[in-house]
Amino acid sequence: MLGFLSNIIYATVRMAVPLLFISMAELYSERAGMVNIGLEGLAVIGSLCGFLMSFITGSVWIGILCGALVGILINLIYAYATISLCANQIVYGMAINILAPAVASFVYRIYFGDGSSLNQISLMKTISIPGLKNIPLIGPLLFDQTPMVYLAIILVIFTAIFFNRSKAGLNYKAVGEHPKAAATLGIPVIGTKYLACIICGALSGIGGAYLTTCYSTTYTEGIVSGRGFIALAAVIFGRWSSGGILIACLFFGLCDAAQIRLQVSSLSIPYQFFQMIPYLATIIVLALVGSKQAGPKANGNPYRKEER
Amino acid sequence: MERVKKSMTGFLVPVLSIILAFLIGAIIMLAMGASPARAFGALFKGAFGSAAAIGTTLNKATPLIFTALCACFAYKCGVFNLGGEGQFLIGATAGFCAVHLTGVTSFPGILLCLLTGTLAGDIWGLIPGILKITRGLNEMIISIMMNYVATLFMGVIYTSWCRDAGMPQTASVDESVMLPRVIPNMRFAWAFVPAVVVGLLLYYFLYWTSSGFKLRAVGLNMTASRFNGFPVKTYILTSFIVSGAIAGLGGASDLLGTQYRLINGYGVGYGFDGVAMALIGQLHPIATVVVAIFFAALRVGSTSMQVATKVPTSVSDIIQALVIVFSVAGMALTQLPEFKAFMLRLTSRSSGKKEERKEA
Amino acid sequence: MEEILRMEHISKCFGSFYANKDINLSIAKGEVHTLLGENGAGKSTLMNILIGLYQPTEGKIFINGKEVKIDSPNQAVKLGIGMVHQHFMLVEAMTVFENIILGDRRSKGILIDKEARRKEIVELSERYGLDLELDKLITEISVGAQQRVEILKALYRGAEILILDEPSAALTDIEVEGLFAIMNKLISEGKSIIFISHKMREVLRISDRITILRAGEAVTTVQCSETDGQKLANLMIGRELTPSHYEKKSVDEAPIIELKHVDYNKSSKHNGLNDLSMCIRPGEIVGIAGVDGNGQTQLAQIVTGVIAPDKGEAVLHGKTVSVFDPNAFIENKFAHIPEDRNAQGLIGDMSIADNLVLKKSEQKPFSSGKGLKLNKKAIRSYADEMAAKYDIRCTSVAQEVRSLSGGNQQKVILSRELESEPDLLVAAHPTRGLDIGATWFVHEQMIAARDRGVGILLISADFDEVLEVSDRILVIFEGQIMGEYSGKNPPVEEISIAMTGK
Repeated sequence: MLGFLSNIIYATVRMAVPLLFISMAELYSERAGMVNIGLEGLAVIGSLCGFLMSFITGSVWIGILCGALVGILINLIYAYATISLCANQIVYGMAINILAPAVASFVYRIYFGDGSSLNQISLMKTISIPGLKNIPLIGPLLFDQTPMVYLAIILVIFTAIFFNRSKAGLNYKAVGEHPKAAATLGIPVIGTKYLACIICGALSGIGGAYLTTCYSTTYTEGIVSGRGFIALAAVIFGRWSSGGILIACLFFGLCDAAQIRLQVSSLSIPYQFFQMIPYLATIIVLALVGSKQAGPKANGNPYRKEER
Repeated sequence: MERVKKSMTGFLVPVLSIILAFLIGAIIMLAMGASPARAFGALFKGAFGSAAAIGTTLNKATPLIFTALCACFAYKCGVFNLGGEGQFLIGATAGFCAVHLTGVTSFPGILLCLLTGTLAGDIWGLIPGILKITRGLNEMIISIMMNYVATLFMGVIYTSWCRDAGMPQTASVDESVMLPRVIPNMRFAWAFVPAVVVGLLLYYFLYWTSSGFKLRAVGLNMTASRFNGFPVKTYILTSFIVSGAIAGLGGASDLLGTQYRLINGYGVGYGFDGVAMALIGQLHPIATVVVAIFFAALRVGSTSMQVATKVPTSVSDIIQALVIVFSVAGMALTQLPEFKAFMLRLTSRSSGKKEERKEA
Repeated sequence: MEEILRMEHISKCFGSFYANKDINLSIAKGEVHTLLGENGAGKSTLMNILIGLYQPTEGKIFINGKEVKIDSPNQAVKLGIGMVHQHFMLVEAMTVFENIILGDRRSKGILIDKEARRKEIVELSERYGLDLELDKLITEISVGAQQRVEILKALYRGAEILILDEPSAALTDIEVEGLFAIMNKLISEGKSIIFISHKMREVLRISDRITILRAGEAVTTVQCSETDGQKLANLMIGRELTPSHYEKKSVDEAPIIELKHVDYNKSSKHNGLNDLSMCIRPGEIVGIAGVDGNGQTQLAQIVTGVIAPDKGEAVLHGKTVSVFDPNAFIENKFAHIPEDRNAQGLIGDMSIADNLVLKKSEQKPFSSGKGLKLNKKAIRSYADEMAAKYDIRCTSVAQEVRSLSGGNQQKVILSRELESEPDLLVAAHPTRGLDIGATWFVHEQMIAARDRGVGILLISADFDEVLEVSDRILVIFEGQIMGEYSGKNPPVEEISIAMTGK
């Protein structure tokens, strides 16, 4: 029983990590007033790039790095259109969701051809922290994971400190709450928004790359399977705080882990029903939480410098 | 004058975006060592080169028109329905089950299939609608989640419940319920006709009836509409139901017109593509239909292009995505005050007389 | 006196429109210098240039005799210019403390040094008599306190020149006194204040010099001691002001609508109603006097059916209302000029014509077959007729209503609402942001409607407006009616005291 439980928890963490990166991407974006629904696309291109570069160089770390870079690159298109041209953020996020996967599948076909030969890479190795990993339950859960898990934990802690304790974080939040007020105080609104998009692109790229370097040994279309959208729900569920988002991601990770477990254990029921669990859970959770808007006030609004 | 100028930019932006996207496509082709002229020639020929080609294009356009109109109608009422794909697929799935399980054939079968499909589509649209109205939930996230559920449910049908022997797909529907071709030697089926009719009906409804007028008002400013006594929630719910129904009808018609069976990968991307087409068509139902046909042509033509020039079909996917990226950015650009001021200077320079009058 | 700031030949264009044209302004150290002008005279634009939010199209700025280029708010802060905006620039989701230290670059370190910052702020607030609770959220403190936060914010950044943009607009009389005391304290410490207002009484009391702006140009600068209200008003408007006195009526016909002991969101002082009773009779204008944010918004929305009261009842033509729904009220011949015309009144992206027929598109002659076919010709010719009747200035009625000026937008609403031949009109801040001409037009139309027998509920934060047109005046404070006065020779002093809750 204990073994089963720790197995589930272990899987939960593994499943939660990519979602956590992508949700944090959205948090950084929305805190600067940028709703980005293009996360799915960014994660897709991140996952392809992570896979491809790991395949070519043999180093998963270069893969992850390139995933982040390509995420930034694509998200800068979004940034330019929504910040400088004041395009509707939702609409442009959609455009990214169409563009990024198209580019990803083009690059994949160009590089690997149409052949169906399975191209695989070896996954990132886990690093266990001696001593700590022997603590029952929590040990293997927290201290026998890939470095990406540790990075994710550091990211959550850093984000909490950044937004709640640091001057830069306070200024950053002001941009998402009341950009005009921020501007009168000399906070660079446009710059912060671009920065937000860069962070968002990088983190969603990493989230995507995680899937092909730490989770699955190969790249398939649809590998991200809606995590970019579930991340949007996780941010709402987590009430725009990094701790809340961590809990939300663990919950969705648990749904994912349970789903896979159940698939294997009950073959008589069509497996798709289990695969629905994370999506249905998202709907149910949102329906229960409701959406008393607690998010940044200026979320989604374009900022025009000289407006009359 | 004001109107004319507006529709001019509304037309110019997408056209320029298309040209720009094709230019970039050409650069990609050059980089791959292919001749853009030959490739685009093959693409055009593949899409419009023969009666059969045109038929295939229109056939391919049919589902896209439905999902695009689904998005278009919802967005006109201020609802961002991203669930077109799920509503389309659940329509096809329900329609399939209805005829497959009851065994009703010929005309009653067709009717049954289309009705069930429409109904299933609007139920699928209704769920995010109810959640939005009662719980204030964001319809985008919910409708996207519903897409995954619909796709998986269709999976249940073709892999387990109605699986046809060994393959992960269903048997095809009875021959008597398959929609015939409109013109015998052109391959497009009757499903295309209702697609266009729905487009025309939406246009009439939105621009020539009082309810359509109010629905657009709700879409543009919900608060003001409420203050002016419009039943805003009813309109929003209606737009969910109707747009879901359009997509559901699309799914069922496409099933009977071209697809005939449920199969892995069916309908992937139809929903988002529909949204994109509606946006490029500036949310005008008729323009949306035209855009959908154009996109279908790109898709159909790209297969011939791949055969003739070895340029992969995914280049055309990139071209399509770029059209969206450019046209949405372009539309935003034309709304910028700086751009308007720039245009004003251009127009006033060309007509110097006006300027003088202003100075005086 | 020593000059601290000089602006020379400042012009600012938006497209082809000149918001400021060749303005010269000189501010001395330790003076209160008022910028006086109507809405749209260019005061805010000029100040936004001074604080680096806008770049002037032409012109130079000198501080202490040295030419400076203010290309960002940061630069303005460095030069010692601080501004308290009319619409406060406060982040509501943050505390007073966080708002004050926001964007601060003086201290080093990555994390916020709460203790040290706190000490500085407390010292500063004590020096200028600005008492504040630093740990409260902005949403939890009064408007007057929010203004003190804004002033403290500017002082914390080392402001030598403080711009106060319509600071008294949202304050009670008592709070205004407090503000003036703070201003005097600031001057005595050698700060300079640029005071923007159009309230003559206050301007004459506090200013040293007054510069009058009109249509984007600086008309003249006068010494406060050498002028009076009438002279200033004439300079501001550019013509003689003839005060129009409307005849006040008293009616005792049966009320159209009567509110009995209505509660709404009772616990809130600013956004609720508390045991409120009142009525509106046909052929009278009932004016609600009160400082903004004392439940006026909620009152207007209950009387138009937008929201439902928590307790108490509304009696409409003798019948108790059971369903609160704007449409039901519209069918009972209620009309509404909402307080926010863009958000609540108009569909900005639709044409003037569409907005004019918004509530009657399904009626003949605008459509046939119960709305199944719109008759666009009829709509257009009706709109042309209305544009002429209500003097809506536009190039065509097909123009988007968004592109009109505020006054013309308001005329579109006025036309739509009055042409529906209402029994009752609720006019919430009908002249807010309008110039004098448009204001006069709105008042004329309201009086004419009253004389036709329409009952009117006028809600306005502009006390002078309430005095001008009301037949009956009710004073509202924290959601309660504090008193009722006749519109004929109203006791102005008494009413203004009632507005502060005493």
